[in-house]
Amino acid sequence: MNTRDIGYIALFAALIIALGAVPSFPIAGLPVPITLQSLGVMLAGLVLGPKRGALAPVVVIALVGIGLPVLAGGRGGIGVFVGPTAGFLFGWIPAAFVTGLLAMRLDGPGKGMVARVIGLSIAAILGGIVVLYACGIAWLAFGAKLGLGKAFFGSLAFAPGDVIKAVVAALVTLKVRDAFALERK
Amino acid sequence: MIDGIGRSGATPLHRLPTGLKLAALALVATALFFVDRPDVLVGAALVALLGLRSTGRRFREIASDLALPMTVIAALGVVDLVFVDVATAASVVPRLLALAFAAHAVTLTTTTAELTDTFERALGPFERLGLVDAGRASLTLTLALRFVPLIVEEAREIREAQAARGLGSHPIAVIVPLVVRTLVRAQVVADAIDARGFPPPRNSNNAK
Repeated sequence: MNTRDIGYIALFAALIIALGAVPSFPIAGLPVPITLQSLGVMLAGLVLGPKRGALAPVVVIALVGIGLPVLAGGRGGIGVFVGPTAGFLFGWIPAAFVTGLLAMRLDGPGKGMVARVIGLSIAAILGGIVVLYACGIAWLAFGAKLGLGKAFFGSLAFAPGDVIKAVVAALVTLKVRDAFALERK
Repeated sequence: MIDGIGRSGATPLHRLPTGLKLAALALVATALFFVDRPDVLVGAALVALLGLRSTGRRFREIASDLALPMTVIAALGVVDLVFVDVATAASVVPRLLALAFAAHAVTLTTTTAELTDTFERALGPFERLGLVDAGRASLTLTLALRFVPLIVEEAREIREAQAARGLGSHPIAVIVPLVVRTLVRAQVVADAIDARGFPPPRNSNNAK
């Protein structure tokens, strides 16, 4: 872990925080507010790779823990850690890790544009949606005692928006990595 | 930089040591998960609310602080009421409210500096084992906070430059140059930090 790695991790943590300032809104009756912060988590994994990608949300969560309002809607503090939707916050770490791991496999030199976009989108969907939702739903089901079925179908309402975010993250990553040479690790 | 939520003060909760408050919160949070009796849980929620009020925060301010989490908890209560049964709703809602009140009380009465100090002390044993490097960890947190206004500023410049060329604001068209420019910025900052010899080398040799 050299100083440049620290700089990249801090940068993507800051990007996740900054994306939270883009207006977010809770959907009536649904337990999780829609935010762009998960787009930042997907980008961290896709651009930086598994290890550094997973450390970016670790930094954000540490800042939440020391009481800074870095989550969407100015939320922060330890209260978030014990709330019913905390799984969707802690899930960022494995989500970015899996996204980065898959990006290393599915994206690489010598692949066509279309294949790269598809590969990166799949990485973002499996990591940023499947893994993240698994953590969030498990927490809702156990922590809020909502029951797996209801937690699952309640969270599904957010899936279409998150698929769009995954494709956006893939397109952004493609262009960013063409402009800025960076090894995933 | 971003200001913390917690403020210093002179109420009993403000004066408790930070480590004690965090440990108590963790203990309460764990214990509440094994309690299912609504009367006990409602009692816990009331005690937590009184604790929160004892920090000098008015009920109206508390309501606006916790508007979003309380909406979420209310929504979960309704779902439980409709799809499960009254007993589940009667234990889930007060349990989550008690947690929200207790945690908010800790957040309000502990400054970011106190929390940072406590975390650094807690990291101490791991650092001696060579598992974490507190210097690098706090550098990363500080850099992240410094980069936030930088990113907001860069985003504004990019949008202005594109508008000046008659381009509309397209999310991908903004975020690509934003990420590339801030990546370059992060690299320059990192190299500048290296040139000044920070973080100081550790005893074990992991300089790379």
